[in-house]
Amino acid sequence: MEKSHLINLMNRIKIDRDEMAFSEIFDFFAPKVNAYFIQNGIRFERSEELTQEVLSSVWVKSDLYDSNKSALSTWIFTIARNKKIDFFRKNSKIDFKEEDIREFLYQDREVDLIEENEAKAQIEKINNELDEQQKIMIKMNFFENKSHKKIADELEIPLGTVKSRIRHILTKMQGFLR
Amino acid sequence: MNGTVVKNQLIFDFASGLLGPAKSLFASTYLHLNSNASRISFTFENMLGENLIDNENIHPKNLKYTDCINGENSKSTSYVEDPVNSFFGSLNNLNWKQIYKGFNEYTAKIDDKDELKLIKMDPGVSVPLHSHGGKEYILVLEGSFCDEYGEYCKGDIQINDQKIKHTPIASRDTGCVCLSITEKDVIFFGKYGSFLNLFTFIKSFFKPK
Repeated sequence: MEKSHLINLMNRIKIDRDEMAFSEIFDFFAPKVNAYFIQNGIRFERSEELTQEVLSSVWVKSDLYDSNKSALSTWIFTIARNKKIDFFRKNSKIDFKEEDIREFLYQDREVDLIEENEAKAQIEKINNELDEQQKIMIKMNFFENKSHKKIADELEIPLGTVKSRIRHILTKMQGFLR
Repeated sequence: MNGTVVKNQLIFDFASGLLGPAKSLFASTYLHLNSNASRISFTFENMLGENLIDNENIHPKNLKYTDCINGENSKSTSYVEDPVNSFFGSLNNLNWKQIYKGFNEYTAKIDDKDELKLIKMDPGVSVPLHSHGGKEYILVLEGSFCDEYGEYCKGDIQINDQKIKHTPIASRDTGCVCLSITEKDVIFFGKYGSFLNLFTFIKSFFKPK
């Protein structure tokens, strides 16, 4: 979907509370967000509940989205990631009887030193440098949050190779992150 | 692995939502104080967002868009808070524990495998030469310190592993307040080394569980 179209849809949601615009956003993102939760090891029924929470946030918090600050995909990713953290926290044995620290950890940061365009240019440079397998490894490690062991099993390569390749990718990306 | 790569690993893990509560608090404070780290995190979040755009589709079975339309447009504004102040409150009111003269600690009550501490060093105070059993992360919140490897100011981070032995000294003008994550106990060397190691060993029996 075109980026300008996404921005247009979000504006219609924000200003006109346009349900048809929201249904387009829903049709595009809900299956991808649902897949994200499943890739992160959450079983189907729960993934669907979390997807509902994410898309409901998009509807209710549309006013907080600023297309000059970040791409819509980035904004929705951060909402989904935070839901995932909440989910695992509630299901972990760790006892959070202390005040909930998650609340203020992932607040919207004012990144005034970087434009979305600048981030995009950096990402393009990184993407040009990485080959297909390296991109897949980044996705498996940081998007799907798979362990190095699991990555090794799925790609059918030795664990040591996975570790050294990821280290190599991080070193390579180093030069493009300023 | 060089230091910068380890720092970026911390930022990437944070952006991915991989860190436990102690390291999450540490990393969010780092991003709050260090604009460069914050930019790197933002770029990486954008990369993950692109992964979302290109992600495969697994369609929800019982979910329709109308299930997600409830509630008004929230007008709440988000504002940026200092994570350390939000969690600990004012640092002056904390019940600091003196380890030795001029060196105070406050251990956060977070249930996690990593230990999160605040460290306050008076001006000119030093820590005896030591290395680390596991990794140690230090973030300067106020003032500065220096060691054999350089000077560390507000928003700077130092990550130490088993190979590094160092003698940090707090700035003679300002002293130093740091946030630290310890994965395992520290090993001391030198004149008082064996005594301090014994102390750490004994202390480990009294850790509240």
